[in-house]
Amino acid sequence: MRESFFKGLEKVMKNDERVVLLTSDTGFSVLDNIRRDYKDRCYNVGIAEQNMIGVAAGLAMNGKIVYVYAIIPFVTMRCWEETRVDVCAQNLNVKLVGVGAGMDYCTLGPTHHAHEDIAVMRALPNMTILSPCDKVSAENFAELSHETAGPVYVRFERYAGVSVYSPYWPLSYFDKGLNIVNVTFKNNPKDVVIISTGRMVTKAIEVSDNLSKYSIGSMVVDLYRIKPLNFERLYEIIENAKTIVTIEEHSIIGGIGSAISEIIAEKGIKCGFRRIGLPDEFCHKYGVREFLHKLNELDVETMTKNILEMLK
Amino acid sequence: MKEKFLKEKALWVRQKVMEMCLAAGAGHIAPAYSWTDIAVALYYGGILRIDPKNRFWEDRDRFILSKGQACASLYAILADLGFFPVEELMSYCQTGSRLGGHSESHVPGVEAFTGSLGHGLSIASGMALAAKIDKKDYFTYVLLGDGELQEGSNWEAAMFAAHHKLDNLIAIVDRNMLQAIDFTEESLGLEPLEEKWKSFGWKVSHVDGHDFKDMIGCFKKLKKAKSEKPSAVIAHTTKGKGVSFMENRSEWHFRIPEGEEIEKAKEELGL
Repeated sequence: MRESFFKGLEKVMKNDERVVLLTSDTGFSVLDNIRRDYKDRCYNVGIAEQNMIGVAAGLAMNGKIVYVYAIIPFVTMRCWEETRVDVCAQNLNVKLVGVGAGMDYCTLGPTHHAHEDIAVMRALPNMTILSPCDKVSAENFAELSHETAGPVYVRFERYAGVSVYSPYWPLSYFDKGLNIVNVTFKNNPKDVVIISTGRMVTKAIEVSDNLSKYSIGSMVVDLYRIKPLNFERLYEIIENAKTIVTIEEHSIIGGIGSAISEIIAEKGIKCGFRRIGLPDEFCHKYGVREFLHKLNELDVETMTKNILEMLK
Repeated sequence: MKEKFLKEKALWVRQKVMEMCLAAGAGHIAPAYSWTDIAVALYYGGILRIDPKNRFWEDRDRFILSKGQACASLYAILADLGFFPVEELMSYCQTGSRLGGHSESHVPGVEAFTGSLGHGLSIASGMALAAKIDKKDYFTYVLLGDGELQEGSNWEAAMFAAHHKLDNLIAIVDRNMLQAIDFTEESLGLEPLEEKWKSFGWKVSHVDGHDFKDMIGCFKKLKKAKSEKPSAVIAHTTKGKGVSFMENRSEWHFRIPEGEEIEKAKEELGL
């Protein structure tokens, strides 16, 4: 996924010489082309994220469009206060790019896990949050983040899973903030509306397909723009839903589950509702991603089982 | 003549700051007085290349007040130079005003929103780097409080600026030895400060932060002498300078004179 994003960013840098990329010593090999071709616009600023954000702000104040790249905890939480004051409070063209959504860095432990980033970034005024689910959207979001004025946070993974989108879809396909990416008509697709983001969208599609085997209709919404939410479109989709489920590789506190629950509560939507996400704890276990997913009930089988139980 | 003019300006700024803060019942007077003479040297002493009529002029020098709490004197100067009406100064920190207790970039003439300490040097480094990328010859100045040098981010920025040979960056340290509730050397000592900057790859100068001739001479020299190194100017200052009972006392970091103190302060400032 990161390779696709930077492929997209290469094009952006080619077409707009205002674009500068800063990395805090992250991006071995994936930044090779950019570092080779844009030496004067790509800097490894060292392992110093607070300074990276300040420098980015200073550059942006002088007409640059600045991308900053690091593993998620370090590009969001380590320098959150700099982002808040220098970037967001002045609404600057700084784009934070974070790799390692959820437990992507499955062998590196809680220091490198990202399960609070959506919660803290969502609270920042002026911040747009983009969360690609596959390599097509990742590549597109380099351009989308460039076109979006002001601060943007792009949250992605090292590797993409199966593609949800066709490579032929234009950027305009991503102008609504969300897309319905799977619908099963076995019964009524609004029996279960699954709202997901990031690579978990592909798992959500599998869950949706599983539910159809039990004659339960469902649809999957890829909420690729977590902020600002497209309230109108979301409301249209969920107002008649019997059950709403959110699936994300993020803490159930403050992520898209929280965002959707706010809409449900404020609009008084009568429906079943469940947030599927990471529990409110650090995961000190190590292993392959699938193992950690199973441990946290984020594997397709357990998610399907839990939704079926909920529907009983 | 110049010296007299600068002294008069500095006195006017101190008078304005006192009036603004007394009217508001708020503000950081002593931190503003500490760097008032530095500000006057920069803005009236022929150092900063700026044009109040063309505030977004691409080739202007950039100035960032990193210790944003000391903005009252900056606001007074910017108004005097014509960035916004002088009358507006008396709304400082009062209901509905755009002039608050920390310098905000929505105020004409202010380059960066500051007040959260330890941010200014990084922002200034970014601006200086932008000048290098764009092959512009403007300088970026940043005024750092000495207390705020305790924030680690400054030293990330110090490494960055030296590594990228930002010789178009001048950091002025307002070395008044005080922070909000203590002397710096009592809470988290900064000395040996000169050696710190030098070991980070900076050129270091010392000036008397209340001596215009000394400061202007130093700033002019730094603009001319290229060395591929960023410059740190340690300006030795007195916090609260200009009102005797406020000088060098931590309790005046955020206090506003009251009762008899008001008359005494006014008398000393010739108000």
